[in-house]
Amino acid sequence: MTNPADMDHEPLIIRRALDGDEGALRALWTRHAPHIDMVVRRLVGGDADLAADIAQEVWIQIFRALPSYRGDSQFGTWAHRIAVNRTLNALRKTRRLANLETEVREDSASIEPDHDRSFLAQSIEEAAAKLSPGARAVFMLHDVEGFTHEEIAHELGITAGGSKSQLFKARAKLRKLLAHLIDVKDIGISGKGLQHVTSTERVAPVY
Amino acid sequence: MSHPPNVSHLSTERIAALSDESPTATELTHLAACPECARERAVYQNLLELASAESTRLGVPLTQWERLAPALATDGVIDTGRALPTLARKRRMSGPWLQAAAAVLLIGGGMMAGRYTAGATVLPPALSPNRVASLDSVPRFRSIEEARAAQAQSQLTFQTATAFLAQQDTTNGLSETPAAIRTRLAALDRVRDVVGEALNDAPYDPVINGYYLTTVGQREATLRQLNTALPAGMRLTSY
Repeated sequence: MTNPADMDHEPLIIRRALDGDEGALRALWTRHAPHIDMVVRRLVGGDADLAADIAQEVWIQIFRALPSYRGDSQFGTWAHRIAVNRTLNALRKTRRLANLETEVREDSASIEPDHDRSFLAQSIEEAAAKLSPGARAVFMLHDVEGFTHEEIAHELGITAGGSKSQLFKARAKLRKLLAHLIDVKDIGISGKGLQHVTSTERVAPVY
Repeated sequence: MSHPPNVSHLSTERIAALSDESPTATELTHLAACPECARERAVYQNLLELASAESTRLGVPLTQWERLAPALATDGVIDTGRALPTLARKRRMSGPWLQAAAAVLLIGGGMMAGRYTAGATVLPPALSPNRVASLDSVPRFRSIEEARAAQAQSQLTFQTATAFLAQQDTTNGLSETPAAIRTRLAALDRVRDVVGEALNDAPYDPVINGYYLTTVGQREATLRQLNTALPAGMRLTSY
């Protein structure tokens, strides 16, 4: 996310940003936008215009809230949490998460109809865009952003059990959409356990 | 390997859950004997690794500073009165080393601005060249943080002074023709493009960031200067 060498002087930049220094604010944005905006993009899904609008609002909120940043965590971590909160709020306003609780209760509603069953996604982001907003939010928060089910339940106003149910359904859908990337070619079972050969190498972060 | 008799496969959702939940003893026994379920479990593990890698993936920002800045200025997050000595600026300039650094840079800035002003100065008395000239040494920094702070502050001071001169100083009206300013603007655009491209490749590089911000600041100042240089009533929309 951020070059560790740059973290050394980030507190100084933040102090300048608190003074209204545009250069410092811009430096924070330049440094963290590639990650923060990706969080927004992932949670919103395929609507690029909506994602851009929400990302703009997210950054305004981050800088508005800057005086409340105490330095207990890294700025990126703190901003990340704001990005998630604001994005989910924005999605609620656009009613894209309005039916989440219904989705959780009704198994069939967790995945949007996919008329093209032969569709294969080229990335997690592309595949997740095929999920319903609620299922996408749960999957992204848990498997990508590292939230616990309890945290997700709090964020989305559902139960932890509902979060788990959504997650497993979302994974099942993604497993199909990303089959060509994650399928296992062969597997051998020994007396002591499993040994498998995957069709993919370990995925390295893309910078 | 054949499927063990009298044992049904694990459900899809259960296998999906096993990516982060431990299997029961019964499930473990089944997985050890059933290649289909074991393969599916491995597939879901791959999915989890793919998702985990996604968390570190960076993308082209959705936001643009040119859109953000006006909104932040309206909100008061950006201090738009920076050309004047605000309390915030006084606080930042409180350290003697920082004052000296800013003063030294202001000399440089003044010299560069002199290209526009043919010798005129708008430096406040407290930071006039005469006072700066009495300083007996170049500032010495005690830490990287101090040096970076001075560098950033100096850059901002220079940009602000340049912008001020561009708008307020009319003493060089004859030498700075609109055509000359346009030439500078075009050059700055080329520099901005090149440095901006480098910024895409190395978004965290402090040197590139510094050059980019300086170029953008100079470009904005030049645009204001060009607007000032144009005949009354004519505003620049393109060049």
